[in-house]
Amino acid sequence: MTPPLYIALRFLTHRKRALLLSLSGVVFGVAIFICTQAQTEGFARHFIDSTIGSNGALVIKSRFRPRYEPLMVSSKTSNGKAPRRLYFEGITDANEIMRVSRQFSNVVSCSPVLRGTVSARAGFENSTVDLYGIEPVLHAQTTDLLHQLIAGNFDDFRNNTSAIIIGSRLAEILQAGIGDTVQLLSPNGEYWRFTVAAIARAGVGSIDATRVYSHARIAQTLLQRPFGASMIIYKLRDPDRAPALARHFETLFQHGASSWQEREESTLQLFLTLRMSAAITVSLIILLAGFGIFNVLTMSVLAKIKEIAILRSMGYRRTDISWIFLWQGALIAGAGSLLGCLLGAIMTWGVSHIPIRIRGLLYSDYFLVTWEWRHYVFATLLAILAVFIASYVPARRAAELPPVATIRGAR
Amino acid sequence: MNAEICLSCHDIERYLGEEEERVHALRGVSLALAPGSIHAVVGPSGCGKSTLLYILGLLDPPDAGQVSIDSEPVSHLSDDAMAHKRSRFIGFIFQFHFLMEDFTAQENVMIPMRRLGQLSDDEMRERAADLLQAMGLGDKLRRPSRHLSGGEQQRVAIARALANDPRVILADEPTGNLDTANSERAFELLQNIVQQGGKALLLATHNPVIAEACDWIHEMKDGRITASHPRGRGKFDFLSRSNAEARLN
Repeated sequence: MTPPLYIALRFLTHRKRALLLSLSGVVFGVAIFICTQAQTEGFARHFIDSTIGSNGALVIKSRFRPRYEPLMVSSKTSNGKAPRRLYFEGITDANEIMRVSRQFSNVVSCSPVLRGTVSARAGFENSTVDLYGIEPVLHAQTTDLLHQLIAGNFDDFRNNTSAIIIGSRLAEILQAGIGDTVQLLSPNGEYWRFTVAAIARAGVGSIDATRVYSHARIAQTLLQRPFGASMIIYKLRDPDRAPALARHFETLFQHGASSWQEREESTLQLFLTLRMSAAITVSLIILLAGFGIFNVLTMSVLAKIKEIAILRSMGYRRTDISWIFLWQGALIAGAGSLLGCLLGAIMTWGVSHIPIRIRGLLYSDYFLVTWEWRHYVFATLLAILAVFIASYVPARRAAELPPVATIRGAR
Repeated sequence: MNAEICLSCHDIERYLGEEEERVHALRGVSLALAPGSIHAVVGPSGCGKSTLLYILGLLDPPDAGQVSIDSEPVSHLSDDAMAHKRSRFIGFIFQFHFLMEDFTAQENVMIPMRRLGQLSDDEMRERAADLLQAMGLGDKLRRPSRHLSGGEQQRVAIARALANDPRVILADEPTGNLDTANSERAFELLQNIVQQGGKALLLATHNPVIAEACDWIHEMKDGRITASHPRGRGKFDFLSRSNAEARLN
């Protein structure tokens, strides 16, 4: 143990009230930071997992129309933006695209979907629904549909072409349960009867309130589409690399492709804003703790002015004196961060067990939290930075104290 | 310069204060300390005794002149290098013991050793215990310094000054805050240390009894050494003038 650390430890432990005050500021700052980040990211992570689990990490849509560049130079009044991209509706060569895209290492599986909007009726209840015509086995491999089922049986759906799976909120709206009949209105005005084989809960309000899964061939006939797929959804090994793969697929297949980040940009921005807001608020708590430590250490320098002079007379260097106070800050930051991380984990666990009924953008019966080591590292770094700044000024001041003036003053 | 001299200063000038309050505290002071000798600096308050001690102890830089340790000039050294010289060669004793309140008697004595870093923790502990034993405080090693009497605290301060076995001990009125019995005991301890350890002791004092017991007496007035006499020779104006008052210290 270095002499400054030895002396710093003794100075700290002999001023218990000041130590407790400084320590509690850091502990609560770090703990609240971790807890709020765990909550805000918990909701965001739940949304991301749910949306990727239902809609895939990457989606290929309709094919581009060939673009013919104008031969004439554009007028001066034109704003220079590229013209809007046009598409042929649907995917005609879905199997070939899927065969090629399966060669990519990041692709786990893919599934064609024929999507359309229709009206649904059950008893006296009506609702506009988002119909997903799927290949049951492929879709189950590509999405979390199997895990999302809260009632019914997937095999009942797979083995029966007139069966459907409906979203949990939609089931409430239509007041339909397992085995009930739901009618879907085709574009020619004809109602098709389906049996509810299962009910799925994605956890995202917009999906659960509108989603209906049927067999792809049935959906194609009902929607009267000439093509069997309007999109292909992908499950990726690394969803974070979806934007790069989407750009690559656009070039390769000449079809529109969008990553989950692009698709959910506005919602993700909302979560990011909330996280930033919470982080800024809690950072202020840590900064306030730092201000408290600054006061405590400044008072300590004033209280130990005589000891500093005597240490200098015994051969302690200016840097040793600085280190005595920097070590005090470091010990507070270290112990405070450690205890703060522990308290943060306990608070996060406690918050995750608070019952709360969320039925909107997300579906949950409890506060959603995420256990992310980065929150602990970031909170610790923030605390260390705040405490270092808070202890640097008093440490420097202590080092610059002229010992002779103090000794003369004490006479 | 004599090779026997362990600490000396030559033509030291020192100004204190700023602008109108500027005082010429030391005016061309020269002094040399040989091992095994005890020097007393006497003179009225404000004559520059303490300033001279701080400059010789490398705590305060002179405005002119040179301080040498073992004939090696040290006034030009960096702050860190001077701190190391202080740690290795010089032991300070102050009028107010200046012990560290948060530490025990033994720990106070170990603090200079920790800085020098030449002994292990056990060796430091043992040496501190030996020094305190020699000061008659063997039964109070683990007592917090604030729980010791004034005389005991000053004896701990003497032990602390000896912790790194320095060549020179600088004592600024070491008995100024003690009663007669404790003054005599503290000075006897210092005398024994100097004689047995071959150290040099320079002390600033108002106490004529202590001054008369030193090998050399340097009289100071207005920042100058006006007279230097070996023990038993010369007549000191200062001593005869303020004998009665000074004994009260």
